[in-house]
Amino acid sequence: MTIPIVPKLLRAHLSDLAENDARIDGRSQWQGRDLEIEHSVLPRAEGSARVRMGDTIVLAGVKFQIMQPYPDRPNQGGLMCSADVRPIAGRNWEAGPPSPEAIELGRVVDRGIRESGCIDVDSLCIIPGEKAWQVILDLFAVSDDGNLFDAFALAGIAALRNATVPAERFEVGEDYPLSVSKTPIMCSYHKVGGRFVYDACAREELGGDERIHITLGDDDNVHSLQKGLKGIFSADEFSEIMSNAQERTKELRNIVDSM
Amino acid sequence: MGGYGDVQMIDENGLRMDGRSPGDIRDITIETGVIPVADGSCRMTWGTNEAIVAVYGPMEAHPRKIQRQDRAVLDVAYNMAPFSTTDRMRPGFNRRSREISKVTKDALESVVLLELYPRSKIRVTIEIVSAEAGTRCVGLTAASVALADAGIPMTDLVVSVASGKINDVVVCDLNKEEDNYGEADLPMGILPNSGELVFLQMDGDLSQEEFKQAWDYNMDAAQVVHKLMVEALKGGDSQ
Repeated sequence: MTIPIVPKLLRAHLSDLAENDARIDGRSQWQGRDLEIEHSVLPRAEGSARVRMGDTIVLAGVKFQIMQPYPDRPNQGGLMCSADVRPIAGRNWEAGPPSPEAIELGRVVDRGIRESGCIDVDSLCIIPGEKAWQVILDLFAVSDDGNLFDAFALAGIAALRNATVPAERFEVGEDYPLSVSKTPIMCSYHKVGGRFVYDACAREELGGDERIHITLGDDDNVHSLQKGLKGIFSADEFSEIMSNAQERTKELRNIVDSM
Repeated sequence: MGGYGDVQMIDENGLRMDGRSPGDIRDITIETGVIPVADGSCRMTWGTNEAIVAVYGPMEAHPRKIQRQDRAVLDVAYNMAPFSTTDRMRPGFNRRSREISKVTKDALESVVLLELYPRSKIRVTIEIVSAEAGTRCVGLTAASVALADAGIPMTDLVVSVASGKINDVVVCDLNKEEDNYGEADLPMGILPNSGELVFLQMDGDLSQEEFKQAWDYNMDAAQVVHKLMVEALKGGDSQ
Protein backbone atom coordinates (compact mmCIF):
# COMPACT_ATOMS: atom_id res chain seq x y z
CA MET A 1 0.00 0.00 0.00
CA THR A 2 1.36 3.42 -0.84
CA ILE A 3 1.78 5.61 2.20
CA PRO A 4 -0.73 8.44 1.91
CA ILE A 5 0.19 11.99 2.79
CA VAL A 6 -1.84 12.98 5.84
CA PRO A 7 -2.95 16.55 5.43
CA LYS A 8 -2.42 18.53 8.58
CA LEU A 9 -5.65 20.33 7.75
CA LEU A 10 -7.58 17.07 7.91
CA ARG A 11 -6.15 16.24 11.34
CA ALA A 12 -6.97 19.71 12.62
CA HIS A 13 -10.48 19.48 11.19
CA LEU A 14 -11.07 16.08 12.81
CA SER A 15 -9.90 17.49 16.17
CA ASP A 16 -12.29 20.42 15.89
CA LEU A 17 -15.14 18.08 15.04
CA ALA A 18 -14.32 15.78 17.98
CA GLU A 19 -14.38 18.71 20.41
CA ASN A 20 -17.91 19.43 19.25
CA ASP A 21 -18.87 15.74 19.51
CA ALA A 22 -19.25 15.54 15.72
CA ARG A 23 -17.84 13.37 12.93
CA ILE A 24 -16.77 14.18 9.41
CA ASP A 25 -19.72 12.36 7.81
CA GLY A 26 -22.30 13.56 10.34
CA ARG A 27 -22.49 10.42 12.46
CA SER A 28 -22.38 10.29 16.25
CA GLN A 29 -19.42 8.76 18.10
CA TRP A 30 -20.72 5.18 18.29
CA GLN A 31 -22.91 5.18 15.19
CA GLY A 32 -22.09 2.74 12.39
CA ARG A 33 -22.70 3.34 8.70
CA ASP A 34 -25.68 1.87 6.85
CA LEU A 35 -25.21 -1.88 6.70
CA GLU A 36 -26.30 -4.42 4.11
CA ILE A 37 -25.51 -8.14 4.31
CA GLU A 38 -26.44 -10.66 1.62
CA HIS A 39 -25.46 -14.30 1.52
CA SER A 40 -25.08 -16.86 -1.28
CA VAL A 41 -24.04 -14.23 -3.82
CA LEU A 42 -21.22 -16.16 -5.56
CA PRO A 43 -22.25 -19.14 -7.69
CA ARG A 44 -18.85 -20.93 -7.60
CA ALA A 45 -18.33 -20.67 -3.84
CA GLU A 46 -19.75 -23.20 -1.37
CA GLY A 47 -20.69 -20.31 0.90
CA SER A 48 -20.51 -16.59 0.27
CA ALA A 49 -21.56 -13.17 1.47
CA ARG A 50 -21.41 -9.56 0.39
CA VAL A 51 -21.25 -6.85 3.05
CA ARG A 52 -21.70 -3.15 2.44
CA MET A 53 -20.97 -0.62 5.19
CA GLY A 54 -21.42 2.82 3.67
CA ASP A 55 -19.04 2.92 0.72
CA THR A 56 -16.99 -0.05 1.95
CA ILE A 57 -17.90 -3.24 0.08
CA VAL A 58 -16.40 -6.70 0.59
CA LEU A 59 -17.01 -10.26 -0.53
CA ALA A 60 -16.31 -13.48 1.35
CA GLY A 61 -16.16 -16.89 -0.32
CA VAL A 62 -15.85 -20.33 1.29
CA LYS A 63 -14.16 -23.18 -0.58
CA PHE A 64 -13.37 -26.71 0.62
CA GLN A 65 -10.38 -28.95 -0.06
CA ILE A 66 -9.54 -32.41 1.17
CA MET A 67 -6.39 -32.45 3.30
CA GLN A 68 -4.43 -35.05 5.18
CA PRO A 69 -4.89 -34.34 8.91
CA TYR A 70 -1.80 -33.19 10.80
CA PRO A 71 -0.05 -36.16 12.47
CA ASP A 72 -0.65 -34.77 15.96
CA ARG A 73 -4.35 -34.16 15.27
CA PRO A 74 -5.49 -37.10 13.16
CA ASN A 75 -9.20 -36.48 13.86
CA GLN A 76 -9.31 -32.82 12.88
CA GLY A 77 -9.79 -30.82 9.75
CA GLY A 78 -8.62 -27.29 9.29
CA LEU A 79 -9.70 -23.71 8.80
CA MET A 80 -7.73 -21.25 6.72
CA CYS A 81 -8.63 -17.62 6.40
CA SER A 82 -6.93 -15.21 4.06
CA ALA A 83 -7.61 -11.63 3.07
CA ASP A 84 -6.46 -9.88 -0.04
CA VAL A 85 -6.91 -6.22 -0.84
CA ARG A 86 -6.19 -5.84 -4.51
CA PRO A 87 -5.86 -2.61 -6.50
CA ILE A 88 -9.56 -2.73 -7.38
CA ALA A 89 -10.46 -1.59 -3.86
CA GLY A 90 -8.78 1.81 -3.85
CA ARG A 91 -6.09 3.90 -5.45
CA ASN A 92 -3.63 3.37 -2.62
CA TRP A 93 -3.74 -0.42 -2.80
CA GLU A 94 -1.16 -1.89 -5.16
CA ALA A 95 -0.69 -5.16 -6.97
CA GLY A 96 1.72 -7.77 -5.73
CA PRO A 97 1.98 -10.20 -2.86
CA PRO A 98 -0.31 -9.39 0.09
CA SER A 99 0.87 -6.28 1.93
CA PRO A 100 1.48 -6.33 5.72
CA GLU A 101 -1.84 -4.48 6.08
CA ALA A 102 -3.75 -7.19 4.17
CA ILE A 103 -1.99 -9.95 6.11
CA GLU A 104 -2.90 -8.29 9.42
CA LEU A 105 -6.53 -8.05 8.24
CA GLY A 106 -6.70 -11.75 7.39
CA ARG A 107 -4.99 -12.87 10.57
CA VAL A 108 -7.11 -10.77 12.94
CA VAL A 109 -10.34 -11.99 11.32
CA ASP A 110 -8.99 -15.56 11.35
CA ARG A 111 -8.23 -15.44 15.08
CA GLY A 112 -11.71 -14.17 15.96
CA ILE A 113 -13.42 -16.94 14.04
CA ARG A 114 -10.97 -19.72 14.98
CA GLU A 115 -10.76 -18.96 18.70
CA SER A 116 -14.51 -18.65 19.10
CA GLY A 117 -14.67 -22.37 18.36
CA CYS A 118 -17.62 -21.77 16.06
CA ILE A 119 -16.35 -24.44 13.68
CA ASP A 120 -15.99 -27.85 15.23
CA VAL A 121 -12.77 -29.08 13.61
CA ASP A 122 -13.49 -32.65 14.77
CA SER A 123 -16.61 -32.67 12.60
CA LEU A 124 -14.42 -31.99 9.57
CA CYS A 125 -12.68 -35.37 9.78
CA ILE A 126 -13.63 -37.83 7.03
CA ILE A 127 -11.22 -40.74 7.63
CA PRO A 128 -9.03 -40.33 10.77
CA GLY A 129 -5.40 -39.82 9.85
CA GLU A 130 -6.16 -39.88 6.14
CA LYS A 131 -8.79 -37.42 4.97
CA ALA A 132 -10.33 -34.31 6.44
CA TRP A 133 -11.94 -31.14 5.17
CA GLN A 134 -9.99 -27.96 4.98
CA VAL A 135 -12.33 -24.97 5.06
CA ILE A 136 -10.86 -21.99 3.23
CA LEU A 137 -12.36 -18.57 3.80
CA ASP A 138 -11.20 -15.97 1.28
CA LEU A 139 -11.94 -12.32 2.02
CA PHE A 140 -11.93 -9.93 -0.90
CA ALA A 141 -12.22 -6.14 -0.81
CA VAL A 142 -14.23 -4.50 -3.58
CA SER A 143 -14.31 -0.93 -2.28
CA ASP A 144 -12.27 0.39 0.65
CA ASP A 145 -13.83 3.38 2.37
CA GLY A 146 -12.44 2.41 5.76
CA ASN A 147 -12.93 -0.31 8.40
CA LEU A 148 -12.31 -3.32 6.16
CA PHE A 149 -11.74 -5.29 9.40
CA ASP A 150 -15.38 -5.28 10.52
CA ALA A 151 -16.69 -5.75 6.99
CA PHE A 152 -14.41 -8.76 6.46
CA ALA A 153 -15.32 -10.31 9.80
CA LEU A 154 -19.05 -9.91 9.16
CA ALA A 155 -18.84 -11.24 5.62
CA GLY A 156 -16.65 -14.11 6.81
CA ILE A 157 -18.99 -15.39 9.50
CA ALA A 158 -22.06 -14.84 7.26
CA ALA A 159 -20.43 -16.87 4.46
CA LEU A 160 -19.42 -19.69 6.80
CA ARG A 161 -22.88 -19.89 8.34
CA ASN A 162 -24.39 -20.37 4.88
CA ALA A 163 -21.80 -22.81 3.53
CA THR A 164 -22.44 -26.31 2.21
CA VAL A 165 -19.80 -29.04 2.43
CA PRO A 166 -19.46 -30.31 -1.18
CA ALA A 167 -19.12 -33.98 -0.28
CA GLU A 168 -20.76 -35.21 -3.49
CA ARG A 169 -18.27 -33.45 -5.72
CA PHE A 170 -15.40 -35.07 -3.79
CA GLU A 171 -17.23 -38.44 -3.74
CA VAL A 172 -17.22 -38.78 0.05
CA GLY A 173 -20.97 -38.82 0.77
CA GLU A 174 -23.82 -36.38 0.45
CA ASP A 175 -23.63 -32.60 0.67
CA TYR A 176 -24.49 -31.18 4.07
CA PRO A 177 -24.49 -27.73 5.68
CA LEU A 178 -21.28 -26.72 7.43
CA SER A 179 -21.89 -26.76 11.16
CA VAL A 180 -21.20 -23.32 12.64
CA SER A 181 -22.28 -23.23 16.26
CA LYS A 182 -21.44 -19.66 17.24
CA THR A 183 -21.38 -16.16 15.77
CA PRO A 184 -18.21 -14.24 16.65
CA ILE A 185 -18.52 -10.54 15.79
CA MET A 186 -15.77 -7.94 15.49
CA CYS A 187 -16.11 -4.28 16.35
CA SER A 188 -13.37 -1.81 15.49
CA TYR A 189 -12.62 1.57 17.03
CA HIS A 190 -10.30 4.27 15.74
CA LYS A 191 -8.79 7.17 17.65
CA VAL A 192 -9.93 10.19 15.66
CA GLY A 193 -9.35 13.75 16.83
CA GLY A 194 -8.28 12.44 20.24
CA ARG A 195 -11.23 10.14 21.00
CA PHE A 196 -12.32 6.69 19.91
CA VAL A 197 -15.13 6.31 17.36
CA TYR A 198 -16.83 3.20 16.04
CA ASP A 199 -16.62 2.17 12.34
CA ALA A 200 -14.25 4.81 10.97
CA CYS A 201 -14.51 5.82 7.33
CA ALA A 202 -11.41 6.21 5.14
CA ARG A 203 -10.93 9.90 5.90
CA GLU A 204 -11.10 9.21 9.64
CA GLU A 205 -8.56 6.41 9.21
CA LEU A 206 -6.30 8.71 7.20
CA GLY A 207 -6.40 11.52 9.74
CA GLY A 208 -6.66 9.34 12.84
CA ASP A 209 -4.28 7.44 15.10
CA GLU A 210 -4.39 3.97 16.60
CA ARG A 211 -7.16 1.44 16.10
CA ILE A 212 -8.46 -1.36 18.32
CA HIS A 213 -10.31 -4.45 17.13
CA ILE A 214 -12.41 -6.52 19.52
CA THR A 215 -14.05 -9.84 18.63
CA LEU A 216 -16.71 -11.06 21.05
CA GLY A 217 -18.49 -14.40 21.04
CA ASP A 218 -22.06 -15.36 21.87
CA ASP A 219 -21.58 -14.99 25.65
CA ASP A 220 -19.59 -11.75 25.36
CA ASN A 221 -16.44 -13.82 25.71
CA VAL A 222 -13.41 -12.14 24.19
CA HIS A 223 -11.88 -14.09 21.30
CA SER A 224 -9.46 -11.70 19.68
CA LEU A 225 -7.98 -8.30 20.28
CA GLN A 226 -5.63 -6.26 18.16
CA LYS A 227 -4.17 -2.82 18.55
CA GLY A 228 -2.85 -1.38 15.31
CA LEU A 229 -0.93 1.72 14.27
CA LYS A 230 0.94 4.28 16.37
CA GLY A 231 -0.83 5.61 19.42
CA ILE A 232 -1.29 5.38 23.19
CA PHE A 233 -4.57 4.53 24.89
CA SER A 234 -5.67 4.36 28.50
CA ALA A 235 -7.44 1.64 30.47
CA ASP A 236 -10.48 3.91 30.80
CA GLU A 237 -10.66 4.43 27.05
CA PHE A 238 -10.43 0.68 26.54
CA SER A 239 -13.17 -0.13 29.01
CA GLU A 240 -15.42 2.41 27.30
CA ILE A 241 -15.02 0.82 23.88
CA MET A 242 -15.31 -2.67 25.35
CA SER A 243 -18.70 -1.86 26.80
CA ASN A 244 -19.78 -0.33 23.49
CA ALA A 245 -18.56 -3.46 21.69
CA GLN A 246 -20.78 -5.60 23.95
CA GLU A 247 -23.86 -3.70 22.80
CA ARG A 248 -22.93 -3.43 19.15
CA THR A 249 -21.86 -7.07 18.71
CA LYS A 250 -25.27 -8.18 20.05
CA GLU A 251 -27.08 -6.08 17.44
CA LEU A 252 -24.90 -7.40 14.63
CA ARG A 253 -25.15 -11.00 15.86
CA ASN A 254 -28.91 -10.77 15.73
CA ILE A 255 -28.71 -9.65 12.11
CA VAL A 256 -26.31 -12.46 11.10
CA ASP A 257 -28.19 -15.14 13.05
CA SER A 258 -31.52 -14.20 11.46
CA MET A 259 -30.19 -14.55 7.92
CA MET B 1 -9.90 -26.94 -25.40
CA GLY B 2 -10.71 -29.95 -23.32
CA GLY B 3 -10.52 -32.17 -26.38
CA TYR B 4 -12.91 -34.11 -28.48
CA GLY B 5 -15.67 -35.40 -26.26
CA ASP B 6 -18.25 -38.08 -26.84
CA VAL B 7 -20.71 -35.99 -24.86
CA GLN B 8 -23.78 -35.07 -26.88
CA MET B 9 -24.34 -31.36 -26.41
CA ILE B 10 -26.75 -30.54 -29.25
CA ASP B 11 -30.17 -32.22 -29.20
CA GLU B 12 -32.24 -33.47 -32.16
CA ASN B 13 -33.89 -30.04 -32.49
CA GLY B 14 -30.52 -28.34 -32.83
CA LEU B 15 -30.77 -26.82 -29.35
CA ARG B 16 -27.94 -26.68 -26.82
CA MET B 17 -28.04 -28.16 -23.29
CA ASP B 18 -29.13 -24.85 -21.78
CA GLY B 19 -31.86 -24.45 -24.40
CA ARG B 20 -30.10 -21.89 -26.57
CA SER B 21 -29.96 -21.93 -30.36
CA PRO B 22 -26.43 -22.01 -31.83
CA GLY B 23 -26.33 -18.24 -32.35
CA ASP B 24 -27.74 -17.22 -28.94
CA ILE B 25 -25.72 -15.65 -26.15
CA ARG B 26 -26.25 -16.13 -22.43
CA ASP B 27 -28.12 -13.60 -20.25
CA ILE B 28 -26.16 -10.44 -19.52
CA THR B 29 -26.56 -7.74 -16.87
CA ILE B 30 -24.45 -4.59 -16.66
CA GLU B 31 -24.23 -2.08 -13.81
CA THR B 32 -21.98 0.97 -13.59
CA GLY B 33 -20.78 2.93 -10.58
CA VAL B 34 -20.62 -0.17 -8.37
CA ILE B 35 -17.35 0.81 -6.63
CA PRO B 36 -17.97 4.09 -4.80
CA VAL B 37 -14.27 4.88 -4.26
CA ALA B 38 -13.26 4.31 -7.91
CA ASP B 39 -13.32 6.87 -10.73
CA GLY B 40 -15.27 4.45 -12.90
CA SER B 41 -16.52 0.92 -12.37
CA CYS B 42 -18.64 -1.83 -13.85
CA ARG B 43 -20.16 -5.07 -12.65
CA MET B 44 -21.11 -7.41 -15.46
CA THR B 45 -22.73 -10.81 -15.22
CA TRP B 46 -22.73 -13.00 -18.31
CA GLY B 47 -24.30 -16.39 -17.67
CA THR B 48 -22.80 -17.24 -14.27
CA ASN B 49 -19.64 -15.27 -15.02
CA GLU B 50 -19.27 -12.16 -12.91
CA ALA B 51 -16.60 -9.53 -13.46
CA ILE B 52 -16.04 -6.39 -11.40
CA VAL B 53 -13.83 -3.71 -12.92
CA ALA B 54 -12.43 -0.55 -11.35
CA VAL B 55 -10.81 2.34 -13.19
CA TYR B 56 -8.58 4.78 -11.30
CA GLY B 57 -7.11 7.80 -13.01
CA PRO B 58 -5.77 9.49 -14.97
CA MET B 59 -3.35 9.83 -12.05
CA GLU B 60 0.32 10.37 -11.42
CA ALA B 61 2.45 7.64 -12.97
CA HIS B 62 5.12 6.45 -10.61
CA PRO B 63 7.84 5.35 -10.53
CA ARG B 64 8.81 8.00 -13.05
CA LYS B 65 10.53 5.55 -15.36
CA ILE B 66 7.12 4.20 -16.44
CA GLN B 67 5.98 7.67 -17.57
CA ARG B 68 5.63 8.44 -21.26
CA GLN B 69 6.13 12.04 -22.32
CA ASP B 70 3.55 11.90 -25.10
CA ARG B 71 0.78 9.74 -23.65
CA ALA B 72 -0.72 8.05 -20.61
CA VAL B 73 0.25 4.50 -19.68
CA LEU B 74 -2.48 1.96 -19.19
CA ASP B 75 -1.99 -0.47 -16.30
CA VAL B 76 -4.29 -3.44 -16.83
CA ALA B 77 -4.53 -6.38 -14.42
CA TYR B 78 -6.85 -9.37 -14.89
CA ASN B 79 -7.24 -11.64 -11.90
CA MET B 80 -9.50 -14.48 -10.80
CA ALA B 81 -10.62 -14.40 -7.17
CA PRO B 82 -9.85 -17.57 -5.19
CA PHE B 83 -13.56 -18.43 -4.87
CA SER B 84 -14.35 -17.83 -8.56
CA THR B 85 -13.80 -21.40 -9.69
CA THR B 86 -15.04 -24.88 -8.73
CA ASP B 87 -11.63 -25.80 -7.30
CA ARG B 88 -10.18 -22.92 -5.32
CA MET B 89 -7.84 -20.76 -7.37
CA ARG B 90 -4.55 -20.07 -5.60
CA PRO B 91 -4.18 -16.30 -5.23
CA GLY B 92 -1.55 -14.47 -7.22
CA PHE B 93 -0.51 -14.06 -10.80
CA ASN B 94 -0.01 -17.02 -13.07
CA ARG B 95 1.02 -17.29 -16.71
CA ARG B 96 -2.60 -17.37 -17.89
CA SER B 97 -3.66 -14.23 -16.04
CA ARG B 98 -0.51 -12.40 -17.15
CA GLU B 99 -1.23 -13.20 -20.79
CA ILE B 100 -4.88 -12.16 -20.50
CA SER B 101 -3.83 -8.93 -18.76
CA LYS B 102 -1.48 -8.20 -21.63
CA VAL B 103 -3.89 -8.87 -24.51
CA THR B 104 -6.62 -6.93 -22.68
CA LYS B 105 -4.24 -4.00 -22.29
CA ASP B 106 -3.31 -4.22 -25.99
CA ALA B 107 -7.01 -4.12 -26.89
CA LEU B 108 -7.88 -1.18 -24.61
CA GLU B 109 -4.80 0.84 -25.63
CA SER B 110 -6.15 0.66 -29.17
CA VAL B 111 -9.26 2.68 -28.27
CA VAL B 112 -8.35 4.91 -25.30
CA LEU B 113 -7.14 8.38 -26.35
CA LEU B 114 -3.96 8.06 -24.30
CA GLU B 115 -2.28 11.05 -25.93
CA LEU B 116 -4.70 13.34 -24.06
CA TYR B 117 -3.01 12.52 -20.75
CA PRO B 118 0.78 12.65 -21.14
CA ARG B 119 2.93 11.42 -18.20
CA SER B 120 -0.07 10.01 -16.35
CA LYS B 121 -1.36 6.52 -15.60
CA ILE B 122 -4.81 4.97 -15.94
CA ARG B 123 -5.29 1.83 -13.90
CA VAL B 124 -7.82 -0.82 -14.96
CA THR B 125 -8.34 -3.69 -12.53
CA ILE B 126 -10.43 -6.64 -13.69
CA GLU B 127 -11.52 -9.09 -11.01
CA ILE B 128 -13.40 -12.25 -11.95
CA VAL B 129 -15.42 -13.19 -8.87
CA SER B 130 -17.36 -15.98 -10.59
CA ALA B 131 -16.05 -17.88 -13.60
CA GLU B 132 -18.05 -19.97 -16.02
CA ALA B 133 -16.44 -19.73 -19.47
CA GLY B 134 -15.33 -16.73 -21.46
CA THR B 135 -14.02 -14.68 -18.54
CA ARG B 136 -11.51 -12.82 -20.72
CA CYS B 137 -14.40 -11.61 -22.92
CA VAL B 138 -16.47 -10.50 -19.92
CA GLY B 139 -13.43 -8.79 -18.40
CA LEU B 140 -12.54 -6.85 -21.55
CA THR B 141 -16.14 -5.83 -22.26
CA ALA B 142 -16.71 -4.72 -18.65
CA ALA B 143 -13.38 -2.84 -18.67
CA SER B 144 -14.46 -0.75 -21.63
CA VAL B 145 -17.72 0.10 -19.83
CA ALA B 146 -15.80 1.04 -16.68
CA LEU B 147 -13.46 3.30 -18.70
CA ALA B 148 -16.48 5.02 -20.21
CA ASP B 149 -18.02 5.31 -16.72
CA ALA B 150 -14.80 7.05 -15.62
CA GLY B 151 -15.23 9.55 -18.44
CA ILE B 152 -12.03 8.48 -20.24
CA PRO B 153 -12.28 9.42 -23.93
CA MET B 154 -12.26 6.44 -26.30
CA THR B 155 -12.84 6.03 -30.02
CA ASP B 156 -15.34 3.24 -29.31
CA LEU B 157 -16.41 0.73 -26.71
CA VAL B 158 -14.99 -2.78 -27.01
CA VAL B 159 -17.36 -5.75 -27.11
CA SER B 160 -15.66 -9.05 -26.61
CA VAL B 161 -17.44 -12.29 -27.41
CA ALA B 162 -16.37 -15.81 -28.32
CA SER B 163 -17.79 -18.48 -30.57
CA GLY B 164 -16.68 -22.07 -30.84
CA LYS B 165 -17.57 -25.54 -31.95
CA ILE B 166 -19.28 -28.43 -30.16
CA ASN B 167 -20.25 -31.75 -31.76
CA ASP B 168 -19.14 -30.27 -35.11
CA VAL B 169 -21.68 -27.45 -34.76
CA VAL B 170 -20.51 -23.85 -34.60
CA VAL B 171 -22.12 -22.07 -31.64
CA CYS B 172 -21.87 -18.63 -30.12
CA ASP B 173 -20.80 -17.88 -26.52
CA LEU B 174 -19.76 -21.26 -25.09
CA ASN B 175 -20.89 -22.07 -21.55
CA LYS B 176 -18.81 -24.09 -19.08
CA GLU B 177 -19.69 -27.59 -20.30
CA GLU B 178 -19.42 -26.56 -23.94
CA ASP B 179 -16.04 -24.99 -23.24
CA ASN B 180 -14.80 -28.13 -21.47
CA TYR B 181 -15.83 -30.49 -24.25
CA GLY B 182 -15.71 -28.07 -27.16
CA GLU B 183 -13.53 -28.40 -30.19
CA ALA B 184 -12.66 -24.77 -30.84
CA ASP B 185 -12.84 -21.30 -29.31
CA LEU B 186 -12.60 -17.98 -31.13
CA PRO B 187 -12.72 -14.93 -28.83
CA MET B 188 -12.76 -11.53 -30.55
CA GLY B 189 -12.76 -7.92 -29.37
CA ILE B 190 -14.99 -5.90 -31.66
CA LEU B 191 -15.52 -2.15 -32.09
CA PRO B 192 -19.29 -2.16 -32.53
CA ASN B 193 -19.51 1.08 -34.49
CA SER B 194 -17.00 0.15 -37.17
CA GLY B 195 -16.88 -3.65 -37.03
CA GLU B 196 -13.10 -3.44 -36.61
CA LEU B 197 -11.16 -5.69 -34.22
CA VAL B 198 -8.76 -4.91 -31.37
CA PHE B 199 -8.48 -8.40 -29.87
CA LEU B 200 -8.32 -11.83 -31.46
CA GLN B 201 -7.37 -15.26 -30.21
CA MET B 202 -8.27 -18.76 -31.30
CA ASP B 203 -7.51 -22.32 -30.41
CA GLY B 204 -8.91 -25.61 -31.60
CA ASP B 205 -9.88 -26.81 -35.02
CA LEU B 206 -12.18 -24.95 -37.45
CA SER B 207 -12.64 -25.34 -41.19
CA GLN B 208 -12.65 -22.15 -43.26
CA GLU B 209 -16.48 -22.33 -43.44
CA GLU B 210 -16.81 -22.94 -39.70
CA PHE B 211 -14.40 -20.07 -39.00
CA LYS B 212 -16.52 -17.73 -41.14
CA GLN B 213 -19.67 -18.80 -39.25
CA ALA B 214 -18.03 -18.26 -35.85
CA TRP B 215 -16.80 -14.84 -36.99
CA ASP B 216 -20.30 -13.85 -38.11
CA TYR B 217 -21.88 -15.06 -34.85
CA ASN B 218 -19.42 -12.88 -32.91
CA MET B 219 -20.15 -9.86 -35.06
CA ASP B 220 -23.92 -10.26 -34.58
CA ALA B 221 -23.60 -10.87 -30.83
CA ALA B 222 -21.43 -7.76 -30.48
CA GLN B 223 -24.33 -5.61 -31.64
CA VAL B 224 -26.66 -7.19 -29.06
CA VAL B 225 -24.18 -6.70 -26.20
CA HIS B 226 -23.34 -3.18 -27.35
CA LYS B 227 -26.97 -2.10 -26.90
CA LEU B 228 -26.90 -3.31 -23.28
CA MET B 229 -23.61 -1.49 -22.64
CA VAL B 230 -24.98 1.78 -23.97
CA GLU B 231 -28.17 1.40 -21.93
CA ALA B 232 -26.17 0.76 -18.77
CA LEU B 233 -23.99 3.81 -19.37
CA LYS B 234 -26.87 6.07 -20.24
CA GLY B 235 -29.32 5.14 -17.56
CA GLY B 236 -28.08 3.04 -14.67
CA ASP B 237 -28.82 -0.66 -14.60
CA SER B 238 -29.46 -2.86 -17.57
CA GLN B 239 -30.97 -6.29 -17.83
